Amino acid sequence: MDDVSRRAVLGTMLAVGALPLVACGAGDGARTKVRYWNLFAGGDGLLMLQMQDDFRAKNPDISLEAVTLAWGAPYYTKLAMAAAGGRGPDVAVLHLARMPGYAPGHLLDAFDVDLLEEVGLDPAEFPPGLIERATVNGRLYALPLDTHPFVMYYNTDVAQQAGLLDAAGRLTPINGPDALIDALTRAKKVTGKHGLALDNLDVMPWRLFYALYRQLDGTLALPLGGSIGIDDAKALQALGLMRRLTEEGLATQGLDYAGAIAAFVNGDSGFHWNGGWETTTFSTAKTPYSMTRFPNIFGNARTTGDAHSFVLPHQRSRDPEATRASYRFLAHLIKSSVTWGKAGHVPAYRPVATSPAYLALKPQSEYRDVTPDVQLDPPAWFSGSGSDFQNQGGAAFQAVLTGDLTPQQGLDQFKGAVDKLLTTPSPA
Amino acid sequence: MATTISPAPPAPPATRAVPLWRRMPAGLLFTLPFLVFYLAFLVWPTVSSLFLSFFNESLTGTRGEFVGLANWTEMFGDSAMWSAFGNTVYFTLLSTPPLVLIGLVMALLTNRAMPLRWLWRLAFFLPFLLPASVVALIWVWLYQPGFGLVNDTLARLGLAEAGWLTEPDLAMVSVVITTVWWTVGFNFLLYLAALQQIPQHLYDAAAIDGAGWWQRLRSVTLPMLGRTTGLVIVLQLLASLRVFDQIYLLYQGTGGPNFAARPILEHVYTTAFTNFRFGYASAISTFFFVLIVTVSVAQLKLFPSSSNSSNSSKER
Amino acid sequence: MTSVRAWNLVGLLVTAFIAVLWLTPLLWAVDTSLKPEGETTLVPLTWFSDNFSVEAFQRVFAQSDMLRWFLNSTVVAVGVTALVLATASLAAYGFSRTDFRGKRLVFGVVVAGIMVPPQVLVVPLYDEMLALGLIDTYWAMILPQVAAPAMVFILKKFFDGIPRELEEAARVDGASILRIFWQVVLPLSRPVLSAVGIFTFIFTWNNFFWPFLAVSDPDLMTIPVGLATIQSSYGLRYAQIMASAVLGGLPLLVAYVFFQRNIIRSVAHTGLSGT
Repeated sequence: MDDVSRRAVLGTMLAVGALPLVACGAGDGARTKVRYWNLFAGGDGLLMLQMQDDFRAKNPDISLEAVTLAWGAPYYTKLAMAAAGGRGPDVAVLHLARMPGYAPGHLLDAFDVDLLEEVGLDPAEFPPGLIERATVNGRLYALPLDTHPFVMYYNTDVAQQAGLLDAAGRLTPINGPDALIDALTRAKKVTGKHGLALDNLDVMPWRLFYALYRQLDGTLALPLGGSIGIDDAKALQALGLMRRLTEEGLATQGLDYAGAIAAFVNGDSGFHWNGGWETTTFSTAKTPYSMTRFPNIFGNARTTGDAHSFVLPHQRSRDPEATRASYRFLAHLIKSSVTWGKAGHVPAYRPVATSPAYLALKPQSEYRDVTPDVQLDPPAWFSGSGSDFQNQGGAAFQAVLTGDLTPQQGLDQFKGAVDKLLTTPSPA
Repeated sequence: MATTISPAPPAPPATRAVPLWRRMPAGLLFTLPFLVFYLAFLVWPTVSSLFLSFFNESLTGTRGEFVGLANWTEMFGDSAMWSAFGNTVYFTLLSTPPLVLIGLVMALLTNRAMPLRWLWRLAFFLPFLLPASVVALIWVWLYQPGFGLVNDTLARLGLAEAGWLTEPDLAMVSVVITTVWWTVGFNFLLYLAALQQIPQHLYDAAAIDGAGWWQRLRSVTLPMLGRTTGLVIVLQLLASLRVFDQIYLLYQGTGGPNFAARPILEHVYTTAFTNFRFGYASAISTFFFVLIVTVSVAQLKLFPSSSNSSNSSKER
Repeated sequence: MTSVRAWNLVGLLVTAFIAVLWLTPLLWAVDTSLKPEGETTLVPLTWFSDNFSVEAFQRVFAQSDMLRWFLNSTVVAVGVTALVLATASLAAYGFSRTDFRGKRLVFGVVVAGIMVPPQVLVVPLYDEMLALGLIDTYWAMILPQVAAPAMVFILKKFFDGIPRELEEAARVDGASILRIFWQVVLPLSRPVLSAVGIFTFIFTWNNFFWPFLAVSDPDLMTIPVGLATIQSSYGLRYAQIMASAVLGGLPLLVAYVFFQRNIIRSVAHTGLSGT
């Protein structure tokens, strides 16, 4: 039976009595309403608030309702449900790697190129690799705002005392596993607690693993219906290093996200690995810090990441006025993404990424050359930031970090979980 | 509703002047409003759950073909389902004894006259009034390593800190501690109400026989609480089997360290709303539904007199 | 007698100890919410701060939609409670005092429904609401929670215990059955109705799972859903998080302090204690 007709039949059967009960949304009168969802719960959320306020001030005819939802699976679950219900927000943020799971055309509506032109946005001004991933069957379903790499923060005071800074006060590049261990050991001696504040929970172990694995030139194939293609030796090498960090007490063990942030803010750790989005948090907390690319440990400088993008969640009936206002809104955000760059994200829009204002942002713009090295998850309906795939990887490798599983066991668990995802029929 | 004005449907002559609702028995009219809700939101979903389990329905609206027993065969071979099932049983076994016993002890303690009794009762019951989200926010904060109150206290006592939310072995224990703190107040209340209904003359008689506090407890109080205990255990088992809220919120839906705390309802939730597979999720739901009803029926046989009271009034 | 006194003292101490244990998490949450952000994670932890302030609360009010969630929770909880009281008391009276063909069977089906765990039905229920186009409305949260067979059962048990003579007198005076229900039976049932009402209200107010699924629109979220879903603080903000937790828990706690006596009495009235 066709799904749509089945739901329609069900609807007619049950709706007869209930239809008059449907609530009518109260209109805002003259101003066009734009509802916008994002998941920026870190320090970058504060910058997003600034950009939103800026938009409101300059566009009094639009009433912007912006909401930040809890990051990760909760956000993506809500977004899918809202789009499936047909009353979703007008604009939402989506990690580009998540797009295949959102069934472009079903949960996402495509961008109208003419409207984009009207608000002065040209897809050619975005990194071609990102636009390629955002295009399905020739239609554009996502507009990238940034790429955001997994980076390294360091406490400048601790690094100074540990003798890790060069004459200019910058971190001496850490190249290779031995240099990493040495740097963390020295930082640990200074703090008396840990060298590295590392979130062991959720998806962070996956991010770390994938960065290391890709530095080893490991490839990851996700053939639907088949089984995972992964280089065991390289994966074990990456996992072995991860375990070494916690086993030797160089990195924190058992801390969650907020705990890792606190350990860095408190000065209990000299280093912190995370996305670049916590700059505001550390500045607000007056932590003496700086940041740089994720260290080059295994020979090429790759790192993990994703690209925040704007999407149009599916709506049962799309109001042309609201749609036009939505385009104006996202054009504003993209064009003013210098502010966004302060959060440690690298703006995707070329005119911004090459502007003097962005280049003047230090230390954020110093690693802008990272964009081609940022590794997104391999495309699959179940992969991408905060996805079940990352959750599976995070769970398996977290157990490796805490020593509950050996690297081999962790890898086996991950492969088993991914194989199951691969044989699961795609809902998209 | 049919009225005498509408000429369209030719009603049988005998009842022409009588509106439909007049012809219905009064009793049916009384029950009708409730039955509408009951059929639409309890009976129908139950039926539709089984129905959906034979389709590969998806939240994205892209599928919906009949797939026969595919979901069911997949489920019985799904190790994630079985481990979630095991976690649910583990949680139930771990949480039920303390929830019943501590509730009983609290009621026994505060059923006696003592200074500030209202305050003690308030303290025991207060957490039960909190929404799950508040409970989770507070306990995530308490369980933090280093600067969490629990670990800080352990450290002060000279004990080792524990990774309450990060060690797979502790993941469910933490949930149980939180749950006991949160919901024991309800069992406490049930016991307290039961204690207050034990006739005083039974105690008087026991006192005349020279029974001490301990003997009165053993020979009067506990036997009189027998039915209540049966009820509390049953309600608690059913409530524990349906655990979802606090686990989902404590671990933000990740299932805890290495999925050590993913209960079956969270597996259903993830399958349906994160991976969009409504059909498969319905198969798991139906399976679990049958299981819970079996437990309910089994306890009906075990505790015939006390069990037919409310259990939906205990939804946690 | 000294041993009795000693026992009383031991009992008091044990009670007080457990009570302190039970109150500590709440007090710690309040304590944290009053500290400045910078002091919340300082080790060793202290209960006192020289800089207690309500800044975190001000931020919560400024940055979150707590008041809106409070309004939504009220709409949903009041709506469900009113509908449950109306439909369940009518149905219970029907089952208790009237006769119609199939009554025993229908009542049997309703009682069997008590065993149905609503949480297990969320997937088909969501599918149904999607088909009805009710997802993201108040109705999606309210309607399913009205189907509470346990409440019908509790009320029927109570009605069964009301002496029939009172109704007979009214019937002789020519009152209709609806009038008897309204003017004779309901006034007599005030205690059990308030018990059903209070518990329905508490459970609806705190219900998380279904409202969490039924509503994605932040403007419609209830307190439990909003707290779990919407991020109103950014980065490291334990004082602010605890302030929102305190505010989220407060409404029912305040209500409880007013109704404390009623609630304990209710349990006895609903027959929930099994005696």
